[in-house]
Amino acid sequence: MLSITDLSVHYGPVQALSHVSLDVPRGEVTAVIGANGAGKSTLMRTLAGLVKPESGSASLDGKVLTGHRAEDVVRMGVALVPEGRSTVPELTVEENLRLGGLWRSKADRAATHAEVFDMFPVLGDRRKLRADTLSGGERQQLAIGRALMCDPQCLLLDEPSLGLAPLIVTQILELVKRLASEVNIAVLLVEQNAVTALRVAHTAVVLNLGQVVMSGTASDIASHEELRHAYLGY
Amino acid sequence: MTQFLDYVLGGIGSGAIIALMALALVLTWRATRVVNFAQVGQAMFTTFIALSIQTLTGSWFIALIGAIVAGAILGVIVQYLVLRPVKRMDTSGAIIATFGVLIALQAAAGMIWGGDSQAYPQPFSNTAISLFGREWPLSVYDLVVIGFAGVLVVGLTLLFTRTSLGLSMRATAFNPEVARLSGVRVGRTLTIGWALAGVVGAVAGVLVAPTSAISPNSFDILLVFAFTAAVIGGLDSLIGAVALGIGTGLILSVVSGYSDSSNAPVVALVLLALNLAIKPEGIFGHNSARSV
Repeated sequence: MLSITDLSVHYGPVQALSHVSLDVPRGEVTAVIGANGAGKSTLMRTLAGLVKPESGSASLDGKVLTGHRAEDVVRMGVALVPEGRSTVPELTVEENLRLGGLWRSKADRAATHAEVFDMFPVLGDRRKLRADTLSGGERQQLAIGRALMCDPQCLLLDEPSLGLAPLIVTQILELVKRLASEVNIAVLLVEQNAVTALRVAHTAVVLNLGQVVMSGTASDIASHEELRHAYLGY
Repeated sequence: MTQFLDYVLGGIGSGAIIALMALALVLTWRATRVVNFAQVGQAMFTTFIALSIQTLTGSWFIALIGAIVAGAILGVIVQYLVLRPVKRMDTSGAIIATFGVLIALQAAAGMIWGGDSQAYPQPFSNTAISLFGREWPLSVYDLVVIGFAGVLVVGLTLLFTRTSLGLSMRATAFNPEVARLSGVRVGRTLTIGWALAGVVGAVAGVLVAPTSAISPNSFDILLVFAFTAAVIGGLDSLIGAVALGIGTGLILSVVSGYSDSSNAPVVALVLLALNLAIKPEGIFGHNSARSV
């Protein structure tokens, strides 16, 4: 389980996150929803070790993550798929996948590699092509595949639906949901598109101006009309 | 026509050295997006170290090994001391800093070894090879230089394309954030890139020294040629650096042969200007604009 306790982040005078606490259990998808600028991406980048928190902590199964660098956090089992289909466009599909989890043993990597190709067959078909020749949906699959190569116990997905066709978004998120329950990993999903996120998530929190304004089961939040109007805009 | 061919062939040896120095520039560029103008200063410094070892031991080979080790260490020192603090600035700040390192290294070399030119021993025959009843404008030494260049290029290409370290280095160059998120120790990878560049530069220095002699400023002109070759080659491309390095050597040899060797740097700069006007991304470069 990923536990976030009292996490606060400043960018200069701007408070991006304020005393955020949150538990992300294994086997489930936990969604973080909220408007632009609510601090969703900051939360993800802080958990991944790219941003230093002001105070508070995050831990995975008791191991404290905060204070470690990004390259060590991923080795501790927390993999981030950042916003914007982050692949290395100049490398081939195969190389992008190989890049993930280079510290692991060859046999372990080969096993995960095969699983990723099973999960995303299109990547196997395109393995020799440069990543920048892929479509948006394929690149998102590649970005998730690269993160899975790191053998994460917790997967952080930042806006995977951004700029993708609704059908592809549904496919990817259904896969993520299956992944969480089958491999028993904790998934934290950040989405601006609340409807999509709440459809796959078990639980959800709503962030507004860096603070958690509500948390509960996804269905509770989806049916909370006042909250929808105030923070989610529909 | 025979004379023209002789001039062309005579340029291969010097072209191979330009290629190596261009390769060193490309390595630091790929690692950190910084053109390291101190590279020739580092090569000069390590060649002086090699000369001291040579004088002490009498072995050309041990001196070369010494230069390689010193080149790696100096590459790491230059990156740590100079480029880490200025990294917070934009890259042009870092490029200016490399000029500062160049000047500091030249001054330090002058203080330690003196400012006069010193001869570097010639380990192999440097006279023209006679074969098939004629003299060729190539010596055994030229062939050794070409051999070294070839081995380094093949070795580096294999390193970049076949190994995990090479993959980490490429990913770090193109997208350091994704590399870090994949678990690559980016700081260490960059440092290895600078050390590798230092090694390649050191080899180039030891190879060029016997043909010219060595003084604190004797490699400056090599920087002009190597920079030209690296930029025209596309800065990102190992193959480009080597092809254009050898090409520059050939052109300069022809120019020197028909006119005067003092015209060679002018021709190099004209080629560079033409390249920047017509195909600024370089012949072997691809995508994204760059500012140098």
